[in-house]
Amino acid sequence: MAQIIAYGIITGAFYGLAAIGLSLVFGVMRHLNIAHGSLLMVGGFTAYWAFNLLHLDPFLSIPLVMAILFLLGAALYKGLFSHLDKLPEGQKIDNSMLVGFGLIWIMDNLATMLWTSDVRAITPSYTGKVWHVFPGVRLPLVGLAIVALAVLVIFSLHFLLTRTYFGKAVRATAQDREAANLMGINVERTYLMFFALSAALAGIAGVVSAVNYSVYPTVGFEWLLKAIIVLVLAGVGRIGRVFGAGLLLGLAEGISVYFVGPAYREVVGLVMFILVLLRRST
Amino acid sequence: MERTSMLELRQVDVHRRDVRILWSVSLRVEDGKIVALLGPNAAGKTTLLMTISGLIKPSKGTVFFEGNQIDRQPVHRIVELGVSMVPEGRRLFPEMSVFENLELGAFTPKARARKEQTAEEVFKVFPVLKERSAQMAGTLSGGEQQMLAIARALMSRPKLLLIDELSWGLSPKIIKDISETIVRINKTTGLTIVMVEQNVALSLEMADYAYILENGRIVGMGEAARLRESEQVKNAYLGLGDA
Repeated sequence: MAQIIAYGIITGAFYGLAAIGLSLVFGVMRHLNIAHGSLLMVGGFTAYWAFNLLHLDPFLSIPLVMAILFLLGAALYKGLFSHLDKLPEGQKIDNSMLVGFGLIWIMDNLATMLWTSDVRAITPSYTGKVWHVFPGVRLPLVGLAIVALAVLVIFSLHFLLTRTYFGKAVRATAQDREAANLMGINVERTYLMFFALSAALAGIAGVVSAVNYSVYPTVGFEWLLKAIIVLVLAGVGRIGRVFGAGLLLGLAEGISVYFVGPAYREVVGLVMFILVLLRRST
Repeated sequence: MERTSMLELRQVDVHRRDVRILWSVSLRVEDGKIVALLGPNAAGKTTLLMTISGLIKPSKGTVFFEGNQIDRQPVHRIVELGVSMVPEGRRLFPEMSVFENLELGAFTPKARARKEQTAEEVFKVFPVLKERSAQMAGTLSGGEQQMLAIARALMSRPKLLLIDELSWGLSPKIIKDISETIVRINKTTGLTIVMVEQNVALSLEMADYAYILENGRIVGMGEAARLRESEQVKNAYLGLGDA
């Protein structure tokens, strides 16, 4: 049982990483960027090639991956999503989903053309190494690194949003866009930077997924599903709650695999998703 | 050469969607004065303030601030030039502390460099904000919220302050306190103020000069002291007429 919980926490930390960028952009900008999973996929492939061509350790390649995804995110926002910002909230969410849907199509197919649909994984020397904490509990080193990474991301984001002028501008803009503008905040630039940051966060999750699982052109959609479940479980706004919801999903999946069987792994999250939505709607 | 006023609007037309709100509005605001915009509801007063701050762009005409044309500039740029606005309904950031609201008021690079000093000055004017600086802005009383909205606007060290509906939702006693404070700021620092206010008697008491706006047009103007005595204003706005 302790083993299941340990794996649940590792999986949950990854789900939190996969969902955090999606959730932040949805909370602040009201864009539901369903291409977030495809950004994650691009991050995974970037780390894969950095590892195979440049022999760069995946965890050390994170800054590089973040930089590339940051630029990609900035370009996507400037070229596509920024045009939706003048719409009222509901229409903005709907339209951002349509744009995202188109993007998934384009990005996933481009990835297939460039890199074929082969399933790949990053396998550094420490893959599969475990730490025997005590008899019966084995912790994979990669898993520990994922949890550490998640903690680092939580604290960095918290610091960014509460201690820096950029973070304060983001929060002010989320609460009242026009009033923020009257403070002298360049709202469009703040949105651009924030969207780009969210893409960079997808990049981190992408690296992790390629080390811990695998990467292939359509993998983004699977992680998107998890991220959306986490988004719904967490509600909008708090970084801590996103990771809390990620852990909840990871643990629930692990426990259900143990008691019910692996065939039902995917069902658990969806059942939780539906239950939350049913409760919210009343 | 013609002397430049602090603020000048020349034949400004404003449309929102397809409705024309302002019709060829021209006005001047001189350095160091308090200027009131009077007029009935929906006369276009708020629209006029929003046009000055850049939130709405005019479809025709020009706006000059210290001789610079600003009507095509983005809002954040106009703030940097020295125009700050206290919007209608205050529009604080309710889920941020009083201090964070003030910090955001000092967002522009120039204001940021002098943030601590400005905050001290603002706390001297509104001591209650210092006591409440860690409290969430949304939990303040109405009067405190209005003080915070004004203080936040002052944090950018503006040359021109636009105030929309100072008295909105406040008790007479608090309105009196805050309006006296604003006049005092104007007298001691020379800050130029353009204000929109439902309460015409109060506006004319505070202001040096006033413009009267009706259906989006300027229909009258004059020294505040003179308007207080004018029959037109007495009848229409002060409720002192015989009819």
